Amino acid sequence: MKNSISFRVWGRYALFTDPVTKTGGEKCSYHLPTYEAIKGVLKSIYWKPTLVWHVDKVRVIKPIRTQTKGTKPLVWGGGNSLAIYTFLHDVEYQVKAHFEWNTHRPELKKDRIDGKHFSIAKRMLEKGGRQDIFLGVRDCQAYVEPCSFGEGEGAYDTIDKLGFGLMFHGFDYPDETGKDELSSRFWNAVMRKGIIEFPRPEDCQVKRFLREMEAKPFGLDETLRPVAVEEARI
Amino acid sequence: MSWMSKLYETYEAALASELPDRDMLMPVSHTIQNTHVRIVVDEKGNFKRASVLEKTQIILPATEASAGRGAGEAPHALADKIHYVAGDYPDFGGKKKAYFPGFEQQLGDWCNSDFPHPKAIAVHAYIKKGQVVEDLIKASILHVDESNQLLQKWPHEVSEENPLPSIFRVLPKTAGRVEQGDALVSWSVEKPGNPDSQTWNDPDLQESWMEYDAMAPGANGLCYITGEEHKLAKSHPAKLRHSGDKAKLVSANDLSGFTFKGRFTDTKNTIAQRGSQAVGVGLEVTQKVHNALRWLISRQGYRNGDQVYVTWAVSGKKVPDPLADTITLMMAAPVFDLEKELSPQIDHGMDLGQQFALRFSNYLRGYHNYLEPNEQIVIMGLDSATPGRMGVIYYRELLASEFLDRIGQWHKQFAWPQRRTAEVANGKKKPGRKTIWPISTPVPRVIAEAAYGDVIKSNDTLKKSILERILPCIVDGQAFPRDILLSALRRAGNRNNCEKWEWERNLGVACALFKGFYMRHPDLTKRREYKMALEQDRHTRDYLYGRLLAIAERLEEVSLNAGGENRPTTAERLMQRFADRPYSTWRNIELGLQPYIQRLKRDRAGFLTNRNKELNAVFEAFEAEDFTRDTPLSGEFLLGYHCQKQFWFKQKSESEN
Repeated sequence: MKNSISFRVWGRYALFTDPVTKTGGEKCSYHLPTYEAIKGVLKSIYWKPTLVWHVDKVRVIKPIRTQTKGTKPLVWGGGNSLAIYTFLHDVEYQVKAHFEWNTHRPELKKDRIDGKHFSIAKRMLEKGGRQDIFLGVRDCQAYVEPCSFGEGEGAYDTIDKLGFGLMFHGFDYPDETGKDELSSRFWNAVMRKGIIEFPRPEDCQVKRFLREMEAKPFGLDETLRPVAVEEARI
Repeated sequence: MSWMSKLYETYEAALASELPDRDMLMPVSHTIQNTHVRIVVDEKGNFKRASVLEKTQIILPATEASAGRGAGEAPHALADKIHYVAGDYPDFGGKKKAYFPGFEQQLGDWCNSDFPHPKAIAVHAYIKKGQVVEDLIKASILHVDESNQLLQKWPHEVSEENPLPSIFRVLPKTAGRVEQGDALVSWSVEKPGNPDSQTWNDPDLQESWMEYDAMAPGANGLCYITGEEHKLAKSHPAKLRHSGDKAKLVSANDLSGFTFKGRFTDTKNTIAQRGSQAVGVGLEVTQKVHNALRWLISRQGYRNGDQVYVTWAVSGKKVPDPLADTITLMMAAPVFDLEKELSPQIDHGMDLGQQFALRFSNYLRGYHNYLEPNEQIVIMGLDSATPGRMGVIYYRELLASEFLDRIGQWHKQFAWPQRRTAEVANGKKKPGRKTIWPISTPVPRVIAEAAYGDVIKSNDTLKKSILERILPCIVDGQAFPRDILLSALRRAGNRNNCEKWEWERNLGVACALFKGFYMRHPDLTKRREYKMALEQDRHTRDYLYGRLLAIAERLEEVSLNAGGENRPTTAERLMQRFADRPYSTWRNIELGLQPYIQRLKRDRAGFLTNRNKELNAVFEAFEAEDFTRDTPLSGEFLLGYHCQKQFWFKQKSESEN
């Protein structure tokens, strides 16, 4: 597919928080990464407001193991409280993703130059990402490396189908949907032979409107460096 | 997440099923609480009589707010404490806040709604009179002093003829004082011609309350569990582990603390209108989920302090408990012979390990037939860091066939003769106790005790974390943690840190862990299999050294016994040193054995010959350099030691039989 990259991301811990447990503070991780978490990894590798990353497939390499840790999270009013977080331990995923132009930002049309964004993305991937990679929460540091999707053995290659129930997919932010709303999306997660094929955000059936929100404006040459200039710098 | 949807499925399956204890499954809109006083009224609302109840728990109708109530005012629907139910409570000097008007209003609304019930109407008519405390005092249930104020302590002397009134016995005490307003009143409504007068188990009454409560206003929104639009819950139930448990699995009351807010802009108003932005769970869904969890925990949960682990099949069928020990598990099988199990007949065609594996497979086959192969088994672990919140610390969904396979592997790989005491019938005298060594697998609690000793007794955190690390070995088939193994081996090699019986038990546990660890070593080249009987052809250095130690100990032991002396043998005393420097310590032991060998030549020549034969066999089996090397021994020497001792023990019990 055009503008497609594939890489492997691995880390010692991951915490893809389940919203049901998030509000109580005793965060528990989903067993699978969410679309939004992988999109976060992609955005850390390389991102400009001109593009929207789409995650095509994620493959689980290592078996799913959880580990709980007691933590002392900070309280807004000062001091600590105690909580027990359940992380995923020793994770590795292979990801295949591509980007498309963000059609809801017509002011950045001049920035949509074929090839330049893609070459920067590939170079940043080789370097391990432009910004720090993390899995779910910022505490769970991870690393990326280019690879070809599907190589090597995975822990779940032989298992035909595993269902995980209704899972959080991602947030619909106003800059990617064109509507001044924040919504959350859900999907019925299924893993076939170790591979999770995420539906496109538009195709998610279960959505929930959360609140009004406005997109952050970007002006080419004002708050956003054009890609030609960027490529020359890197 | 899946655990909530699985619990929801379990609730629905349990309701629909014919399980015998499904009556314990709580209906929606009800909560469980201890009750202290029963008041019986007639259908017109006249007081008839009252009594004090001890250790009685009932299911009572409750609103969403009152089910999870803490310090504020939140009346239950029908049965509640005296300071809610009695209009005249403040007149008698009650110290707690009088919440009667709210209670009476709520009950009245229910009675005037579309779903009234005659029993509720009768109770309402009675409490409206506002005479509850007065009637209870007249019935000698509650007690007052001379100025008609409710007593906080019983002032008179307690003796055989004047016992403490029951109300002071059943109510919880704070600082020695009892607040009589804390007594929870439950009702019975007697109507001539109607034998069923109670209100806490009446399905009609429960139905009518459920329907009324469902009509209550509330925000509608997407339920994150079912994916459909439902009336959303404002608060989630507590009381999961016991009826006084305030810890909640799902809570969303921290609007100012940034526990979760971030990009969400929830305020009290927006939550009341549209539900919280962060998460939404349907009211019915959350009640069913928590009721199912509570039922499962009370029915089949394994408790370890604050932690609870519960294993269940979604269909409600019985499943083997991953944390139970082997003998208990097999006892639950339909055809089981405890006698035969504890002293198995020796089938010389198969070795002990194979026999045990066969017996355990038979036991599991019963379960394979009983459960469908694709049935979902769920294992869940809960723990709370603070008293108000609980977290899910472990969650696995497995297919029944997978689950039974993993349990089978755990029990077979980690099986070893373990020390147990059994009662032996002794004619007319009190039954004696005999030490036996049935083959079984140590449970996590015993593993923790063997690996860490007395420290465990005072250190809850350590106990919890060990259980947490061992459970994935049982359920997920993961490799056993090496540090627990090393700790157990070290403690089993030191005979002085505990009592003799404890040391013997630790030895059994350490051998079991060593054997299991190597059977499922993550590095395939390092895997080894050990038999549970003496392996004459195993020539590894550590194993042979273990056998040497056992033979030396036996020689000296028998010699001491023959002489009537009761001293620890040289081998016993030097065991730990032997583990660190076998060759040089063996010299000491051998030299120390000489006088005892002399004695045995005189008294037990035959025995001595046999032991000498064994010694020679072991010496021959050694490779030359292995014997003279003084490097520390691994846990394998314990296996050799124990197998050799078991060999003689069996010979002895065979010859006795």
